[in-house]
Amino acid sequence: MVKLKKKQRPNPEIPTSSMSDISFLLLLFFLVSTVIDVDTGIGLTLPEYIPIEQQEVVPLSKDRLAALLINENGDVLLNGDIISIPQVQKNLVEKITKKIGQPKTKKLVVSVKVDRKTNYNLYIQALDQVKGAYFEVRETYAKTKYGKKVIELDERETNDLRDEIPIIISIAEPEQVKK
Amino acid sequence: MKFAKKRANSSAAIPTSSMSDIIFILLLFFMVTTTLREVDVLVQYSLPEAKAIEKIENKRLVSYLWIGRDERIQLNDAIVKLEEVQDIMYNKRVSLPNVIVSLRIDKNSSMGIVTDVQQKLRRADARRINYSTLLAP
Repeated sequence: MVKLKKKQRPNPEIPTSSMSDISFLLLLFFLVSTVIDVDTGIGLTLPEYIPIEQQEVVPLSKDRLAALLINENGDVLLNGDIISIPQVQKNLVEKITKKIGQPKTKKLVVSVKVDRKTNYNLYIQALDQVKGAYFEVRETYAKTKYGKKVIELDERETNDLRDEIPIIISIAEPEQVKK
Repeated sequence: MKFAKKRANSSAAIPTSSMSDIIFILLLFFMVTTTLREVDVLVQYSLPEAKAIEKIENKRLVSYLWIGRDERIQLNDAIVKLEEVQDIMYNKRVSLPNVIVSLRIDKNSSMGIVTDVQQKLRRADARRINYSTLLAP
């Protein structure tokens, strides 16, 4: 009788040396892909507080001013004309574009004035339109002058852009209403 | 005379099978110890939506101010009165000169309360603000 030799099996082993690399990659993947909720919103700088006694009235020529008024019923006035909110951007884009190339003291000032009872959401919509108008003009300016998008501009070009199209939004104080 | 070379007879391999466990424990440790400075929001609010929005680049500079549906004001982690906003923000601004105030205001609020808060912020000289909004679809 022939003696059958039992086949020698190799020790079953899973290669674990690369497991740590795999878990490291996993860790890195999660680290990179996690987004911790980013704050987004409409940025603004409030005017400096000056006591009433020290306030001076600076005359502002009419063609510099774009006065946006929103009353408590949600009616919007732009320089005295009734307008709907989605039209504000288009209207302002024209006005801002006209001011490109003019000296610093002639740039457009957008004044937003509201009533104490105006809805906050409406105010944000209006402000959004104003900001949108500025962004649109800046984008076209960057494209025509430098052939780039705004975010691709270098520092010198960004400064030029900021000088040419400064965002001047004045938040007027609502008139005191007797309670 | 021939000397036998002295050699360790144990294998020189480092046991790597438990390495993954160690790294997992490391991962877990960091996951557990990391706190994402959470603030309990004590007011109810829903944000308005807008398109022309920007990100706040530096989170370290941000102070949060909520105005809820019931016109209660929360500053960072506590409910405050309108009169207190000025002092708290002034102290904040002294310790952190370029503080940004992120205003999270309920969209159905009236501008009255918003204006009041803004006036307080102006007096406290914390003038960089950001109206927190969601991205409109």
